[in-house]
Amino acid sequence: MPRLDATDLRERMARDLPGAVLEAVPLQVAAAPAHGPQPGAFMTSDTLVAPSRLVEAACYLRDLLGYAYLSDIAVVDYLADDLFELVYRFYHVEGGEGLTIKVRIPRDHPEVPSLTPAWPGANFHEREAFDLYGIVFVGHPFLRRIYMWDEFEGFPMRKDFPKQGDKYIGADE
Amino acid sequence: MLKTEELQINIGPQHPSTHGVFRMIVTVDGETITDLKPVFGYLHRNHEQIAEQNTYLQNMPYTDRLDYFNSMANNQAYAMAVEQLVGIEVPERAEYLRVMMVELTRILNHAGALGFLINDMGMWQTQLAFGMREREKILDLFESASGARLMCNYFRFGGVVRDLPPDFIPRLKELLQAMPAFVDELERLLRENEILMQRAEGIGILPRDLALAYSVSGPVLRGSGIPYDVRKAEPYSVYDRFDFDVPVGTVGDVYDRFLVRIEEMRQSRRILQQVIEQLPDAQGGHINPKARQNVRPPVGDVYARIESPKGELGFYLVSDGSGKPYRYKVRAPSFINLTPLGDMCRGYKVADVVVILGSIDIVMGEVDR
Amino acid sequence: MTITIQRGEVVEVARGSQRRYAVPGMGLLDSLGVVWKHWRESFRQNRDFSDIHGTFTEQYPDERPNLPEAYRNMPILLYDDETGHELCTSCFQCQRICPPQVIHMTQAKDPTTGKAVPSVAEFIIEYDACMSCGFCAEVCPFDAIKMDHHFELSTADHASLTVYKQELNRPVSYYQSIAPTLWEEAKAGAYKKLQGNIKRRPDVIGIAPHLVDRIAARRAELAAAAAAAPPPPPPATTPAAPPAEARKLTPEEKAAKLAAIKAANASKQSGATPAETPPATAELSPAEAKAAKLAAIRAANTAKQAGTAPAAEATPAPVDEKAAKLAAIRAANAAKQAGTVPAAEATPAPVDEKAAKLAAIRAANAAKQAGTAPAAEVPPAEPAPVDEKAAKLAAIRAANAAKKAAAEDNETERN
Repeated sequence: MPRLDATDLRERMARDLPGAVLEAVPLQVAAAPAHGPQPGAFMTSDTLVAPSRLVEAACYLRDLLGYAYLSDIAVVDYLADDLFELVYRFYHVEGGEGLTIKVRIPRDHPEVPSLTPAWPGANFHEREAFDLYGIVFVGHPFLRRIYMWDEFEGFPMRKDFPKQGDKYIGADE
Repeated sequence: MLKTEELQINIGPQHPSTHGVFRMIVTVDGETITDLKPVFGYLHRNHEQIAEQNTYLQNMPYTDRLDYFNSMANNQAYAMAVEQLVGIEVPERAEYLRVMMVELTRILNHAGALGFLINDMGMWQTQLAFGMREREKILDLFESASGARLMCNYFRFGGVVRDLPPDFIPRLKELLQAMPAFVDELERLLRENEILMQRAEGIGILPRDLALAYSVSGPVLRGSGIPYDVRKAEPYSVYDRFDFDVPVGTVGDVYDRFLVRIEEMRQSRRILQQVIEQLPDAQGGHINPKARQNVRPPVGDVYARIESPKGELGFYLVSDGSGKPYRYKVRAPSFINLTPLGDMCRGYKVADVVVILGSIDIVMGEVDR
Repeated sequence: MTITIQRGEVVEVARGSQRRYAVPGMGLLDSLGVVWKHWRESFRQNRDFSDIHGTFTEQYPDERPNLPEAYRNMPILLYDDETGHELCTSCFQCQRICPPQVIHMTQAKDPTTGKAVPSVAEFIIEYDACMSCGFCAEVCPFDAIKMDHHFELSTADHASLTVYKQELNRPVSYYQSIAPTLWEEAKAGAYKKLQGNIKRRPDVIGIAPHLVDRIAARRAELAAAAAAAPPPPPPATTPAAPPAEARKLTPEEKAAKLAAIKAANASKQSGATPAETPPATAELSPAEAKAAKLAAIRAANTAKQAGTAPAAEATPAPVDEKAAKLAAIRAANAAKQAGTVPAAEATPAPVDEKAAKLAAIRAANAAKQAGTAPAAEVPPAEPAPVDEKAAKLAAIRAANAAKKAAAEDNETERN
């Protein structure tokens, strides 16, 4: 059973893929409340990868470290920090804890290379991320909405998506 | 050579064998499938968005509605995620109770799933009725413990909502006593049944390497020959205390997935027997008395996963320090297991599609979220 | 790549290598045998968990399902059987935790001081959107909200699935009957907290609405019994209002009392003998509250002046209950003080039966205290909504008491 943890991964990746690993900046997560206890900044311990080197890093995980099972791709909308974070989670088939790499992309230009050509399992994850967050996966063979209907405008999981009112019902009512 | 033309047809969204509102755009060449695209979202309710408006505890009953067959398993994955995020200790006894419920749920799910699979093959309700009867017994147990049959909402942060009623363990023992006869009968009914074998053997083959690349999980992954079981690969709860085997298939077809599920029911029974043996020695009550339910976790993120009956079920939570999750993501096994459906169906006949879909065992509540 | 796992092994499922039958078709026959066995056994009723054959079917409408105690369906509110007090204190815990946000409530307020009282004024649960999670019952610190076992909720009337306090209320004894051990656990704490809360609830606030009149009537009876102890009719002793009356003292009531005192004084001075007149059942125009008021005032005046029998007809207008109440009270008081035989007619207004009820009770009390024979007639109540029944009951009781007093009076007169 392989026993790699987040720090090992960062060291290895920084050594083997120079330039791919970024220094993590603490995130504000949510806008600071006017009163009450202030939430601290969110400092991740996972490896932060440059968006342009994502496919390379993922293949490094798979082919050299053996973490071949892509379990999950999650998107988090950090509105206060003006960025999207994509969380890729990989597991080793023999077991043990998973490894996580994260990619941060600006909110106004959410583009990231697609893993689907190399990893067919990423297909639905990426379509879901596109559908709900509007992340454009460059190189995805079929990047279409998966839950919402094709004519739907907007990305409903974004934090700035209006929570009230429905243009499909109509404003008159 | 006869000149043929490709034809696109819809299977679903309203179709009895699609296990919900699920549509497949099938391109056929004669009777042979050349392409298949799953289309879903008809049951989409933006579960994750709803969850981000709720407090952590309020999400617990919503997780029931993901995979409504296995509400206990969903509860466990979510409870584990929040417990890891906040740092809540779970008493030993509560862990045993959780394992007991989730293993019961696994039996229940497989009994139902195999019934539906056979139903899809055209054996009508026979097997389904037998499976449902066993399922009813388990649901009765769930009802006596949690108060509800399907939407159990039994788990809380730090344990379970209440301890077992006094007659639970005796009834469970009776149930386990009957279980081998049921599983054997199920196997006898189908294992060498020529009809089943005609419809299942060599159908919907998902090779080992492709299964891994497609990130499928659960019985589908194991049916393709990869012994990946979260209970063994990354033991959570008290699963490291039980002896049980991981069944794997060799070919990766419908028949293998069928056999893997049957074997898993046996292994679940084994686990349950060990739970009953070890339960009286387990320390602590059914819930950690110090655990607060209206949690306000520190800023951070967590991913917790379990081996749900359908595969790897994970919850990714990001906390911003408030009482509501900043991000709540479900890694739904049914949803990801659908990814290779097109590849699995290519080259087979239209009639095989429903069988292959049945062997994946999806629940639309979880696929669409 | 071989994968080893801890405490167990990877087993490959056997595909056909361990076949029992070499002859094709035998497997099919074998499985048919299984079906045959199940069919044969299906005529036997069997609910034993250790047996997989036989019928498990419950003949549902005839045979009621045996629900476990923990079973939860829809939330209900509990009230105490004895005192009628609701356990709910409107702490808003359930409203806050409810995941689909279907619980709504308002807190009761003391009408005199306007301060919040640990009691609930209105409680609404939208049953149609309730997801039966049971959180409300779990968080309730007063054990006031519990999950019901009643599951036959289907209805053609969607609006009826917005359930108000009236329909949510169940006595504690009901919950005890469906979940004895669960209630046993909660009982001591629940009652202790309830006692504490009752102390902070003035008057009838916090009593289950359909019990208010019964409780009030009982209080009135008790008070009447207490008042009957000091012997004959001191017609115009201080209008020491019975406890039932001592509660809400709205300005109008105060004025009414004042008027009554004046009337009483007047009748004392005139010292007229009571004369018996049959109860007049003339109906005034019910539309106008003014008319009712007028009638009452007139009645009071006649009583004052002559001390004879006025036919105090209070036909409260359905629009203005306050006036009706007032009229009834005045009539009653006048009758009391004059010691005459008024036909206090309380026709409860359908909109606010409570006020009418109250008036009837008061009238009865007054009559009792006066020790005279008022024929408090209760006309066959107008289209009675659910709890007008109770009002009627109170009125009947009042009438009976009055009759009894009259009989006694007659005897003393004859003597």
